[in-house]
Amino acid sequence: MSSAATVGDLVSQPYKYGFVTDIETEKIAKGLSEDVVRLISAKKEEPAFLLDFRLRAYRQWLRMTEPDWATLGYPAIDYQDIIYYAAPKQQQKKASLDEVDPKLLETFEKLGIPLSEQKRLSNVAVDAVFDSVSIATTYKEKLAEHGVIFSSISEAVKEHAELVERYLGTVVPSGDNFFAALNSAVFSDGSFVFIPKGVECPMELSTYFRINSGDTGQFERTLIVAEEGASVSYLEGCTAPMFDTNQLHAAVVELVVLDDASIKYSTVQNWYAGDENGVGGIYNFVTKRGQCRGERSKISWTQVETGSAITWKYPSCVLQGADSVGEFYSVALTNHRQQADTGTKMIHVGPRTRSTIVSKGISAGHSVNSYRGLVQIGPKAVGARNYSQCDSMLIGDQAGANTYPYIRCQQPEASVEHEASTCRISADQLFYLQSRGIGFEEAVSMMVSGFCRDVFNQLPMEFAAEADKLLALKLEGSVG
Amino acid sequence: MIRPDAPILLEIQGLHASVDEQPILNGVNLTIRAGEIHAVMGRNGSGKSTLSKVLAGHPAYTVTAGSVRYQDVNLLELEPEQRARIGLFLGFQYPVEIPGVSNLEFLRVATNARRQERGDDELDTFAFEDLVRERLNVVQMDPAFLERSVNQGFSGGEKKRNEILQMALLEPLVAILDETDSGLDIDALRIVASGVNQLAGPHTATLLITHYQRLLDLITPDFVHVMAAGRILRSGGKELALELERTGYDWVDAELARQPVEVP
Amino acid sequence: MAGSTAWLEGLAGAPVPSRRLEDWRFTDLTALAAIHPKLAMAPDPLAGVTLPAGVSRLSSEAVEALLGRALHANHSEQHWLVQLNQGIQPAVVGLGVSGAAQPLELICDAGEAEGLVPWRILLVLEEGASLELLQVQRSSGANATTVITEVLLGAGSELRLGSLGLGDRQACLLTHLAVEQAPGSTLALTSASAGWALSRFEPRVVQSHGAAHTQMRSLQWVDDQQCADTHSAIRFDGPGGTLDQLHKAVADGAARSVFNGAISVPRAAQQTEASQLSRSLLLSDRARIDTKPQLEIVADDVRCAHGATVSRLQQDELFYLQSRGIAAAQASRLLLRGFCDEVLRGLPAAAATWRPLERLLGADTQLSPDPEQPAAPLGKV
Repeated sequence: MSSAATVGDLVSQPYKYGFVTDIETEKIAKGLSEDVVRLISAKKEEPAFLLDFRLRAYRQWLRMTEPDWATLGYPAIDYQDIIYYAAPKQQQKKASLDEVDPKLLETFEKLGIPLSEQKRLSNVAVDAVFDSVSIATTYKEKLAEHGVIFSSISEAVKEHAELVERYLGTVVPSGDNFFAALNSAVFSDGSFVFIPKGVECPMELSTYFRINSGDTGQFERTLIVAEEGASVSYLEGCTAPMFDTNQLHAAVVELVVLDDASIKYSTVQNWYAGDENGVGGIYNFVTKRGQCRGERSKISWTQVETGSAITWKYPSCVLQGADSVGEFYSVALTNHRQQADTGTKMIHVGPRTRSTIVSKGISAGHSVNSYRGLVQIGPKAVGARNYSQCDSMLIGDQAGANTYPYIRCQQPEASVEHEASTCRISADQLFYLQSRGIGFEEAVSMMVSGFCRDVFNQLPMEFAAEADKLLALKLEGSVG
Repeated sequence: MIRPDAPILLEIQGLHASVDEQPILNGVNLTIRAGEIHAVMGRNGSGKSTLSKVLAGHPAYTVTAGSVRYQDVNLLELEPEQRARIGLFLGFQYPVEIPGVSNLEFLRVATNARRQERGDDELDTFAFEDLVRERLNVVQMDPAFLERSVNQGFSGGEKKRNEILQMALLEPLVAILDETDSGLDIDALRIVASGVNQLAGPHTATLLITHYQRLLDLITPDFVHVMAAGRILRSGGKELALELERTGYDWVDAELARQPVEVP
Repeated sequence: MAGSTAWLEGLAGAPVPSRRLEDWRFTDLTALAAIHPKLAMAPDPLAGVTLPAGVSRLSSEAVEALLGRALHANHSEQHWLVQLNQGIQPAVVGLGVSGAAQPLELICDAGEAEGLVPWRILLVLEEGASLELLQVQRSSGANATTVITEVLLGAGSELRLGSLGLGDRQACLLTHLAVEQAPGSTLALTSASAGWALSRFEPRVVQSHGAAHTQMRSLQWVDDQQCADTHSAIRFDGPGGTLDQLHKAVADGAARSVFNGAISVPRAAQQTEASQLSRSLLLSDRARIDTKPQLEIVADDVRCAHGATVSRLQQDELFYLQSRGIAAAQASRLLLRGFCDEVLRGLPAAAATWRPLERLLGADTQLSPDPEQPAAPLGKV
């Protein structure tokens, strides 16, 4: 099949993950209270430390107000009109995949994430999260042979309580911000990864998040710890059905990296974005932060953000250890009425810490796409360096591109450099490609992926091509 | 090579075109048969470049009257990419730079689009690399240029070589070369001209748009046309170009005064 | 020493901005609290000045008709500095310019006065007029200067505007500049400030129908406990405008330098070309620098670029000078001089008498014993 035809196929399909799985779900009543927090904790049979963590967060949340500094506009969220716990009715996580409800397996297969032994990807271990619950994790045993723990966080709380207790909330404290506090109070599930000292994780780890219910909020929590000298590459993917109401997604991701360890965290976010008039879609308010605690440790965030009605997300690095490295590579594409306010924080604490930021924003339709970033060089960060590059591509004259790169520097022996530019797809460039026989949509797609290449190069191989196609799909009909 | 019985590849009749409602072409007539090399000459602003852009389907130009037949299809109905796929090629005077898009990838996608149209198999990455390396010889181009973004940071001469490389890969039936000689030093000009000569054959035709005789010293035209005020004022053989070289274009004004522009 | 700022709230009719407001997050206003709570008489900047040909005082009718227009066009009315100054209602110095006028200098000297010293200036350049104006804000005591300058630039007019703020370690400077540019007009603004306990400079420009040219060069130098804050905002309300902005800061001692540069390119502003560069030098590990470019674009056929750097002096350049026998301290001063000079040389010629460079760098900026040593090769920082 020619690549031109591929694009043709792609653009003829709107959001292809918009189906709903008809499955019996256990939900608790709408609304949030201390009782609800206790109920969630009880349902998950959690130890006391976790209930305390949740309650502390809940009480802090009650005193907080929703942030309004981002360049976003949306109607007020009624936090009492959301269901905080929903799980497919299937008691207990099954020891074997054969016992998992076939409807769920089928759902993930439709999403391109086959979980069954025969079909699953050979070098990627997957944790599949459906609404509030992890339904299956592949390759657990094989990973365990290397000492790698990869499980749902609910299981980890039971099986590795001391590890969870040691690290949970140490990077993103329960009262960090409004949405993080909400998540800390009601988080349902998510992934836990622990790579012990000296281990290079033998395969890609991946969590796939699926929102299915229309009235449920999704609050997953991910915690990844890489001990001294360990390394792992982790990818998360997200989709949701098409509903004409908005669903709230408020996740927290915490990364901890010790001496000489590294975590590469990639996201391909394709939550339902709402229709072309801005009806429906996910509100994606996510706190992601990693702490380079050890010397020479490294965290690399790569994100491809194409979905959600609203994205509010700033994957950050706290560079504590001397010579630690933070990276942020981002493509954010907005179309129709989508709004994205995304970027990163690089907090340089330790000496000779280095960070790189490459952000590519593409705005089409009536959307608004903002880069908001902070590079902070603390007084002890002698010899720290940062380089940031933020490019915007505008498609059409109705879309907005904003850039807000903060720099705060308290260390003279440091250097911070920021560059930003805007561009568009010019008619002359399109004509040139067309006059060589390349179709209009493909020409656009080539130029967009060229614009994003620096970021796509950072994605794991299997997903780079996916990301490319995703962008072409999302831009359907927005050029010209 | 003139063969009166050769099939007609391109037939332009009474072509009028405008940009921003400003008429630029005012009734161009031109017939090109297989095997022929035509040169269109004329002063700046005479409409030469516009003619090439209209033939390639640039969206900024509106055809207000006339027809263009390419073999047996109405060329003006086709999208630019369709024109390219059926074998019409425009070598640009100013090839644009396209940051981020790999030259190699671009050449491969374009070549496969043309091959698909002709019913040939698509070339995979490896087969294409073999082909492109072979065709690089036509323009004596450094393979390093394949790894860069399309035309980005290329010198004027490198851009023009890249154009001829594209021509070598797309194997057009009708190649229109818009001021391919502009901005080239004599060595680059020789290389480009030799590329064009290698690619010309009995079944294809070439339309050279140029200011100067010097390109025509290297590529001998069968026909020379002088454009002025958006139409072809005079046509002749290669000796017409030499005459222009001697006399310049001053006679054009007198001639124009005698032949008022027709309004469509 | 910390007094109250309640009296300022009374004057402005609005609370003193809290640091919880994004626009004031990094700006410490405690120096204002030390100012004696009274209004001081502002000397007339035109006293003893002979207006050059082409410049005349605006009639009171003209002032009434035009005052506030540039503020309105720049959405400045709700800004606290404007509210404060307007609350005081200082006498308006209104000047009209027609034709090519000779250079003019306006000095707002708070001297040793105690309290708050207010000025308000309105400058109107008629179509095709041109003027070179140097505004000097001076203080040598514990006072706070508030200046609002409104500028209306007619079609095709050209204003070269210098703003020089030479302060006192006890003094505060609060300046708001609102410019409305008609198509074809040119504004070349160069500002430099140093020596103030606190300075806040808010230059705002709107190109009301685009197609105008704006150049901004600014330098702020802070040392000791000083704080200098520039909040610029440029908006293009029509197509084809250009902006070339360079902001420089030097922070030494335990000082704080803040720069916020907003550029707004709405849909109507196709073919805008805007560039903004912010370069800051941090000379001490107790000083701090906060910069925030702010680019908002809703037009696709535009070219907008911005960049920011924060660093110390370039070590390789220092080394180069040292390897030619120049002592480290003097080499630093030479490099600093080059850094500052890129902005200062844009000031109107009249600024030379104020010796801005010497005030920033101290007297020892020349390469002794040969003060005529050309600075050019050292100027590339």
